[in-house]
Amino acid sequence: MESFFARYRNLLVLLAVLLAQIIGLAVQVRRTESGRNTLDASDPTGVRLIRLWADAVVTPPEQIFHAAKLGAEALWQNYIDLRHAREQNQELQKTIDRLRLEQASLMEDARQGERLQALLNFQQRYIYKTLAAQAIGTSGNESSRVFYIDKGSSDGIERDMAVITPDGIVGKIREVFPRSSQVLAINDQTSGAGVILETTRIRGILRGDAAGRLQIVGILADQRIQPGEKVLTAGGDLVFPRGLPVGDVVRVRPDPDRDSFIDVIVKPAAHLDRLDEVLVITSTEPQFSAEQQRDQATSEALKGAEAAAIKQQQKASQIMAERLPGLTDPNAPVPGTVPPGQNQAAPPQAPPVPKLLHPLHPDRFTPGAKPQPAQEQETTPPERQENKPETKPESKPDSEQATPSPTQAGRKP
Amino acid sequence: MRILATQHRRELGMRSYPLLVYVLAPLTALVLQAWLPRLLRGHTWFDLPLLITVYFALARRDSIQGTMMGAGMGIFEDALTHHAIGANGIAKSVVGFLAGSVGVRFDVDNYTVRLMLTFLLSLLSGFIYVLIYRVLLGMDQEWRGLEELLKAVGTSLVALVVYPLLDRTQLRD
Repeated sequence: MESFFARYRNLLVLLAVLLAQIIGLAVQVRRTESGRNTLDASDPTGVRLIRLWADAVVTPPEQIFHAAKLGAEALWQNYIDLRHAREQNQELQKTIDRLRLEQASLMEDARQGERLQALLNFQQRYIYKTLAAQAIGTSGNESSRVFYIDKGSSDGIERDMAVITPDGIVGKIREVFPRSSQVLAINDQTSGAGVILETTRIRGILRGDAAGRLQIVGILADQRIQPGEKVLTAGGDLVFPRGLPVGDVVRVRPDPDRDSFIDVIVKPAAHLDRLDEVLVITSTEPQFSAEQQRDQATSEALKGAEAAAIKQQQKASQIMAERLPGLTDPNAPVPGTVPPGQNQAAPPQAPPVPKLLHPLHPDRFTPGAKPQPAQEQETTPPERQENKPETKPESKPDSEQATPSPTQAGRKP
Repeated sequence: MRILATQHRRELGMRSYPLLVYVLAPLTALVLQAWLPRLLRGHTWFDLPLLITVYFALARRDSIQGTMMGAGMGIFEDALTHHAIGANGIAKSVVGFLAGSVGVRFDVDNYTVRLMLTFLLSLLSGFIYVLIYRVLLGMDQEWRGLEELLKAVGTSLVALVVYPLLDRTQLRD
């Protein structure tokens, strides 16, 4: 037995290592309801721990490399690249050399400032709260299109936050570590984002393919979809806010798996292969500037005052309506019905003619009123006129008075 | 007798390196593998962890060390992706084992042999990786032959530079 283990020691070690890893793989994979195998969206604790360790080992050197690269670029642009020029112009005065050196330095600063200013402008214009981050590393594997940024949970980053650039969307936060985060790019095969075509308003799901191309899947064949059409986020995936640029339609091809469906190939708006600075949307609550907040408050106040004014007008018109005389008697019998107490065999009457009710304040336009001299009309109080029996066409209780408007009264035949 | 001969041959050709090289070389390979694609527009035309695994397995002529180093490098690589941890580990364990086994039987001091082995083992690693995903995990993973070929070529070209550099760090009696 001992000789067996000694003889096959190497092979046994290999088998043990493979077996351990196969068991580890089995723990991470689960079967979906549709019968397909998939990885858990959130890693088990052990797996997350391994990722955390790997990140802790790789991120600091990556950040050092990144800083060294920036330093080397600065050194090259600020010194080495200019040394040749300085040698050529050695005979020139030292002042000119110094000025050129400074100029180059300033130009680089200006370029960097311009780039950051553009980012800042975008950040200020954007109504959501964002956090700028630097891309520092990748997964090192082309089948896993993830990259790492230098901001983590200590900066307020959380899972599933959207990552964008001023050009367009980039991806979403998949894993968060204390000082770095893993971003799943939109062109990965496992990513997904709800998108909408700008002009045709057709919705679909954006995915990456094996080659890292973007495509919209799950769309019924539609002749209206043409190359060049803009693709925007639809906002239904709870990751990307609505209306962010995604890219342009490049071409349309039939879905190889499903008839009558098409795949729309999209060129990403963001430069996914050349990412340096990105923005992480840390809050989808609108972040308005002080000026915008003032405008909003003013608008709200005006809206309240307008509503109060409308309510007051309605109340006033209601009071007026109660006070004005009515044209019809609300208690008058409905045509065709016989009032109680009357003989059923009574001869049919002529159709009722609307009767004018006694107005509270009759004037010279009141039907049946005698024309009066202008002077008298002005001086006669309404009470006097009201008490005159000849001006009272028909006596009715006050409760029977309806509320016609003066114009209605004037239209009496 | 045969085992003894193999053992003797292995001990004769086994190389030793300072501890720092054992630590720094894999770590540097892993960091560069994660960082360099940023400069190459996301393309990974080489597999530095595989290169280091093959180099040490061949140099040490030890299958167990090759297996362990391959497993460690592969798991580390997997941990940096969003894929299952273990697929790369299995692939590189097999590669490390094979490299260590080959190292016992062939003269691997020859650069051409080492580069050929690196090229073939790189292709094998990619193939095993896809095989694990398709067969073992039952998941979709496309085999991209051309890119794997380019990657194997790239790894061999990098090996052309890295192997002599690492050779210079070995301890001599």
